[in-house]
Amino acid sequence: MGLIANYLEANGIATVVMGCAKDIVEYCGVARFLFCDFPLGCPAGRPGDRASQTATLELALRLLESAPGPRTTVQLSERWSDNPDWKLDFFNVSQMSAVEFERAREEELAWRKPPPKAVGD
Amino acid sequence: MAAMGRGLGFAAAHDVAVPYIDRSREYYLAMGYPKPYEWAHFAEVPFTALDKPLHQTSVTVITTAAPITPGKGVQGAGAAMNPAAAFHEIYSASSGDAPELGISHLHYDRAHTRAADQGAFMPLRALADTAAAGRIGAVAPRFHGVPTRYSHRLSLKKDGPELLSRLRADQTDAAILIAI
Repeated sequence: MGLIANYLEANGIATVVMGCAKDIVEYCGVARFLFCDFPLGCPAGRPGDRASQTATLELALRLLESAPGPRTTVQLSERWSDNPDWKLDFFNVSQMSAVEFERAREEELAWRKPPPKAVGD
Repeated sequence: MAAMGRGLGFAAAHDVAVPYIDRSREYYLAMGYPKPYEWAHFAEVPFTALDKPLHQTSVTVITTAAPITPGKGVQGAGAAMNPAAAFHEIYSASSGDAPELGISHLHYDRAHTRAADQGAFMPLRALADTAAAGRIGAVAPRFHGVPTRYSHRLSLKKDGPELLSRLRADQTDAAILIAI
């Protein structure tokens, strides 16, 4: 989405990116970024909570109208949970059991080309 | 450090933005993919200021979510990764009569959310509320779906110009882009 945002910005369309992956969006660099520190999949507010979604969008609109320049990030202050342990789970090899890892690998290989064979295999 | 901060209200050390670039590199390396994905990365970032007040601005949404389509497998809440649900060309649809959207074709945090509420990843309804309240000028007549591509070149050379053309056709001033 960062590439698309930048293309539109370069051609006169003001943009704001809403997302949960702060490192990825900021590594790309975009004009305006509303960081929602929720699990991937919830960049527009808490599921089932219309007030949260309304507040998240309002913050994005404020960013759209008031950002002073490129690379302006604003973070939604709402927290997903008082317990931050959910942040340890996604794609975290060190947190996975051997069984979980093998299941994930099988799911990946169901739709993706297998990895190259290592030298010596 | 953690012990020092314990009485001062410090957060846990891991209570930071999740390091997805590092996580995905290590995850795929462990699966046998040695070449890390090359994430888009720019030194110069363009910026367009709004040239009119927000209450006169036409705003659209651009998403990587896909219309839920019969025959493409399980796509709704809690669906497992379903690449068959992916789309490969830009689509546009009426903002006022949006189809049901799903994100089963994307990697998202299935352990902690289920994509059961479209409003958490597609703010069209909330945007319509802001238009009704006069906060924005209008919701643009169409929202747009853009495919998730491995090729940065295709995103820039093909999808960017096509989206720009559609936004201009709709006289759209600003876009909210949703990074699932």
